[in-house]
Amino acid sequence: MPPSGGFEAIRYKRSLPIRGPGGAAIFGGITAICAYGFYLVGKGNLERRELKRESAWSRIHLVPLILAEQDRDAYRRNTASLAREKEIMKDVPDWEVGKKVYNTSRYTQPNIVVL
Amino acid sequence: MASHRTANFEDRPYIDPNPLPSSVPHVDELGVTSAPLKSASFAIGQYCKDVNEDFMLCKQENRDPAHCLKEGRKVTRCAAEIITKIRENCNAQFEAHWQCLEKNNQYYQACRTQEGALNRCLADKLGLKKVIPGSPEGEVPVHEKKSPVFTRVQK
Repeated sequence: MPPSGGFEAIRYKRSLPIRGPGGAAIFGGITAICAYGFYLVGKGNLERRELKRESAWSRIHLVPLILAEQDRDAYRRNTASLAREKEIMKDVPDWEVGKKVYNTSRYTQPNIVVL
Repeated sequence: MASHRTANFEDRPYIDPNPLPSSVPHVDELGVTSAPLKSASFAIGQYCKDVNEDFMLCKQENRDPAHCLKEGRKVTRCAAEIITKIRENCNAQFEAHWQCLEKNNQYYQACRTQEGALNRCLADKLGLKKVIPGSPEGEVPVHEKKSPVFTRVQK
């Protein structure tokens, strides 16, 4: 005979704790993180462009200064080189000191350096 | 045949001890290394705009080093003048900024704090304002951004 009040209900349901947020939350969260990341990338790209511009202009402002210094040095070396050539070639008749190998009046950099 | 040697001489320095001919007036070379120059570059660019442009136009006429010696001397004198002025008026800020550049691979973005101090000092004392030509209008220029994306690599 069954006990009075009937049998106890059979516990067949699994009683597992809820583990973490649901799928929609994870998906939404990752989307949000990625969106913020891409926002930063975009902002960073614009900023990097400006940083490049800044360092390019800092160099542009220095170009005349550096070029002037280099020019003085190049001129000094060139004068010395011509004087040396004149001294070495003084016994050769019809020798033109500092004559170009190119047929042009445009300035050409010397391509031989005497050490 | 292609040579594996570069165009410069690595085994000995390219030194020629001969002095400049006396027909060229003497001008003291600047003798400033790259970090201070980078720190002062916008000040130089603004202060010496006229002589710099004059020199570059002269170079455009003729690339011969002998052609623009006079303009070149003016350029160097002007740069020396502004650097002396910066040293006289904003020495501490200038020193801090270029030391910072020296230690941070000469990245401007790594030294905004020091740069801000230097720029304020230059604006107050010498009336020079850092302007980057070509930067988009109506936006905060990159050197004055409150929260930039790129700062130092290591915080």
